[in-house]
Amino acid sequence: MRNPTPAGTGAALEPVRAQLLRIAKADADALLAAADQDAAATFAAAEAQAAAILDEARRQGEADAETARDAAGVRTRRAARARELAARKDCWEELGRQVVARVQALRSARSYPQLHDRLTAYVREVLGPDVHITEAPGGGVIGEVRGRRLDCGLTAFARRALERTGTEAEGLWSP
Amino acid sequence: MNSTPKEGVVNSTSDWGRVEYTSVRELRGPLAVIDQVSGVGWDEFVQFTLGSGEQRHGLVLEVDRGTAVVQVLQDTAGMDPARIRTLFTGSPLRIPVGPSWLGRVCNGRGEPLDGGPPVFGAGTSAVGGNPINPVRRVPPADPVLTGVSAVDALTTLVRGQKLPVFSAAGLPHLELAAQIAAQSTAGGEPFCVVFAAMGVTHADANFVRDALEERSAAGELVLFLNTADDPVIERILTPRIALTVAEELAFTGGRHVLVVMTDMTSYAEALREVSAARGEIPARRAYPGYLYSDLASLYERCGRIEGLPGSVTVLPLLTMPAGDITHPVPDLTGYITEGQIVLSREVHAKGVYPPVDALSSLSRLMRKGAGPGRTRDDHLDVAAQLLAALARARQIRELADLVGHSALSPTDRRYLDFDEAFYHGLVDQRRDELRTLEQTLERSWQVLLTLPRSQLAMLPGDLLDAHGAAEGG
Repeated sequence: MRNPTPAGTGAALEPVRAQLLRIAKADADALLAAADQDAAATFAAAEAQAAAILDEARRQGEADAETARDAAGVRTRRAARARELAARKDCWEELGRQVVARVQALRSARSYPQLHDRLTAYVREVLGPDVHITEAPGGGVIGEVRGRRLDCGLTAFARRALERTGTEAEGLWSP
Repeated sequence: MNSTPKEGVVNSTSDWGRVEYTSVRELRGPLAVIDQVSGVGWDEFVQFTLGSGEQRHGLVLEVDRGTAVVQVLQDTAGMDPARIRTLFTGSPLRIPVGPSWLGRVCNGRGEPLDGGPPVFGAGTSAVGGNPINPVRRVPPADPVLTGVSAVDALTTLVRGQKLPVFSAAGLPHLELAAQIAAQSTAGGEPFCVVFAAMGVTHADANFVRDALEERSAAGELVLFLNTADDPVIERILTPRIALTVAEELAFTGGRHVLVVMTDMTSYAEALREVSAARGEIPARRAYPGYLYSDLASLYERCGRIEGLPGSVTVLPLLTMPAGDITHPVPDLTGYITEGQIVLSREVHAKGVYPPVDALSSLSRLMRKGAGPGRTRDDHLDVAAQLLAALARARQIRELADLVGHSALSPTDRRYLDFDEAFYHGLVDQRRDELRTLEQTLERSWQVLLTLPRSQLAMLPGDLLDAHGAAEGG
């Protein structure tokens, strides 16, 4: 049970009340301002973080794109180079075919019997009189005796000549 | 010899063809034994023609009274002794040489893997090579810049030098080799790379092809790929073929040639296998007694020659089995070469690439390739100061293990910061990142400036002023 306040007390406490109210208001303002500041800071930090994430994502994307572009470039270059090399190989093999064909064509030349005799004599001279001489498939002769063999066939001559080819073969594809 | 009156003459003129032998007595593993031969020498190159027309190749390992033992390069599987024709070519292996090799990808025997025609050359050279007359050798000079900070700053590669990389299984040495091969330059002078991969897996071979595609397309690369499943004797030929090609490109073509050879341990193991097949007496860890001279016959083919343009620089990579630096291969390599770049597991564990252990690495010829008139005036001073500070940082780290981090002086703590900055700010770089020498040296300065000026006594005052070195500490 409260005792009634003496008359005039309310008026006397008015300044205290007002002061308390002012302090409370100031505190509230300060808290509000701090909250605003905090919110602004958090917002700014979030924005900065978002920007950084975006930047990083952009950079990552660019790096990925560059890697993909490089990989595609490597693939394209390799495919182009492979085609070029395959074409060169075709040229070389075609040259081989033509050389072999032209040398084998000597079989129908008028001088072929003499050539054949010379080759036979040569094989006999190298491998001795016991040599077994057979006709080579593309012309010329092959001699065989006791574990040794000498191929004086026209195809073999052509192949050996091709093996000795130097950089002049590159004239087939370079200007 | 009555039965072969003109054999010697015929075999000296390939126009008339050479006598082939059909007297194969037996095939055993990779070896073919051929009877009744004459005029055959050691290491002679041999061509086999099978009944199907397929051709294989071999090397003479042993000759004794008309019997020759030949190691078949592609193995003897599928060969019928009764239907083999054996042709001894009369000399060790010779290959065509010249610029046609540039841009080509070949196997360990020099045969194309890229779908192209054979490689042509104006002439041929024996793959065994001709040792350089010591009097005509010119000391290595001027740098090969690799674009890798750890190498360029502290172990500068010099033109004509042989500088091995010591690594261990699981470390990214192949990546480093490929990066160096892809990025290296010789200051605007004609430059090319010969890359010999020996005993690598197919995945690694593909990685190397991809990494070096650009250089290959630019016609600045010759790539030899001997994979792990290729015959071992081919592995013995691979570095020799690579060096023969490189010598011609350098001393006739006037290019500075970097020869990267990886993995030399696989090579030495192949040598051991062939030595065992020859029945030779094994030496340390069953490697042949001539391992030292054999490795020297490869490494010593680098250099520069008086009066000739170009240079051959050799960068062999070897993996140390179980990380053992006293293993015969790194041990003997270290005797022959001029320094080493050592990769370490500890640095690798820090996530640093390339994991170079700077304090164990050394380029003995660095002074001939770096410094005033060669790289930059301050290069040697910066390198010396970096190494000195690293050595101090290592001591302090050991001290900190004993007394605790909090007991260290502020200067000591700065050294630990320097150590971190060195690995993460200078050594660490992306696998496709090319750093110019300027960038490398600027990063070196930034790393050094983590130390107080009082600790940078090896650097001239004017340079410290120019880079704004701060007092205090």
